[in-house]
Amino acid sequence: MVSDSFTTAASIPSAPNTKNLGKKKRINRSAKLKQCKFDARREQWLSQGAVKNKGCNDGRDDVRNPLMHMRKGCNGSLEKLEMRISGQENDGLIHQDSDLESTSISPTSFNCGVLSSNDSGTNFTGSSSSSSSSSSGGCFSGNITEEEGDDGCLDDWEAVADALAAHDKHQNLCHESPPAHEPVEQMVSPTNGLGSGGDNSKHESARLVPRDPGNTQAWSPDDAFRPQSLPNLSKQHSLANSDWHYGGGVPWAATAVTSVPSSCPICYEDLDLTDTSFLPCFCGFRLCLFCHKRILEEDGRCPGCRKPYERDPVETEASVHGGSLTFRLARSCSMIERS
Amino acid sequence: MQASRARLFKEYKEVQREKAVDPDIQLSCDDSNIFKWTALIKGPSETPFEGGVFQLAFSVPEQYPLQPPQVRFLTKIFHPNVHFKTGEICLDILKNAWSPAWTLQSVCRAIIALMAHPEPDSPLNCDSGNLLRSGDVRGYQSMARMYTKLAAMPKKG
Repeated sequence: MVSDSFTTAASIPSAPNTKNLGKKKRINRSAKLKQCKFDARREQWLSQGAVKNKGCNDGRDDVRNPLMHMRKGCNGSLEKLEMRISGQENDGLIHQDSDLESTSISPTSFNCGVLSSNDSGTNFTGSSSSSSSSSSGGCFSGNITEEEGDDGCLDDWEAVADALAAHDKHQNLCHESPPAHEPVEQMVSPTNGLGSGGDNSKHESARLVPRDPGNTQAWSPDDAFRPQSLPNLSKQHSLANSDWHYGGGVPWAATAVTSVPSSCPICYEDLDLTDTSFLPCFCGFRLCLFCHKRILEEDGRCPGCRKPYERDPVETEASVHGGSLTFRLARSCSMIERS
Repeated sequence: MQASRARLFKEYKEVQREKAVDPDIQLSCDDSNIFKWTALIKGPSETPFEGGVFQLAFSVPEQYPLQPPQVRFLTKIFHPNVHFKTGEICLDILKNAWSPAWTLQSVCRAIIALMAHPEPDSPLNCDSGNLLRSGDVRGYQSMARMYTKLAAMPKKG
């Protein structure tokens, strides 16, 4: 795509464009500066809104965490969700790249802009700069498509900055609520990741929908994009979050349940909270749920004592954690069906 | 597949980290294939294998922690439970008594234990088994020591 825009830039040096080239360059430089600023602000916003933003990313992160610990992507519908997300993230990235290129060679770059808008497939009708500011990546292309041959690059970037400022406030307001229910989320997530995930996405959409009327073009086409269009940052965020979660969760488990190995003796992966409270055999041999499942599929004997596993795990454990256990198993089942 | 690979990597790290823990076992992984391992084990003391260094070859299946690794002696050994020609080992934990909780390192330990305590009632090497079963411990020991000297000790000179 990048090379594409270069070639178009080279091959269409039409008369009106060459005339304005000097001016364009200057404009573009300032536009780039603006974009730098904008990026910096976006970073800042993301980092300051990390807690607030969590509300949005919460669903994905929290659901991801226990899975990351378990290392197996045994999530049925969630995987789809993630796939969709990552796809969109990729889109966003691509658009951003193309945007950088296209802004630097602006007048002829509308080809590229058109291309990217086609790619995204969503109708970026909004020349309103608020759309671009709010949902970063994908929407720039929309703007550029609108501009086409216009000189209005600089104005637009200024508008972007303005809209960004406006949106910062707006979003801060919007994200006031999430921290309140976030801790609960963290507590609940290891045992019923999927449920909370579904819940959360509902929350998310519910929270996003009311925004629509306010700025019509800003959110409507790409509501779903909004959290995902911050691809790298959200990923980093999720990583950091997982670290935090991990650091917080495991010591707690270790102190709560003594003499529990920190890693599964079969796969050597770290045991998460559910695994550490899972006691499948009377001999006391612990292992992660995933390995337990695999063993049940094979010979079904406890690796510790080589006795066949009972139908029901140790009674007390089962009564306490029965729900989560069946849930996990159901998920791994779904994975096997798909593969 | 992926699980076995991950587990083998972890075992490899473990082996690297705890090299000094068990001086009788030197376990190493094939440079290009994590499913192929070799081990050098020292013959246990007070056995006819004392002083010998025996090489083992591990072939790890893709279902590894659930399926046992295939192990055989590359060094000739005169032992009732080791096939003299192929080096195949008759050991319950490598067959039906395998547990996923075992590691390659623990397999090596088990083989060392087997060298010290042969099971003549399930022989792969009938000559060796028959010597023991007929009560000719001395004959067995001298044969085993001879083969240890021939095959498992550095050549003198």
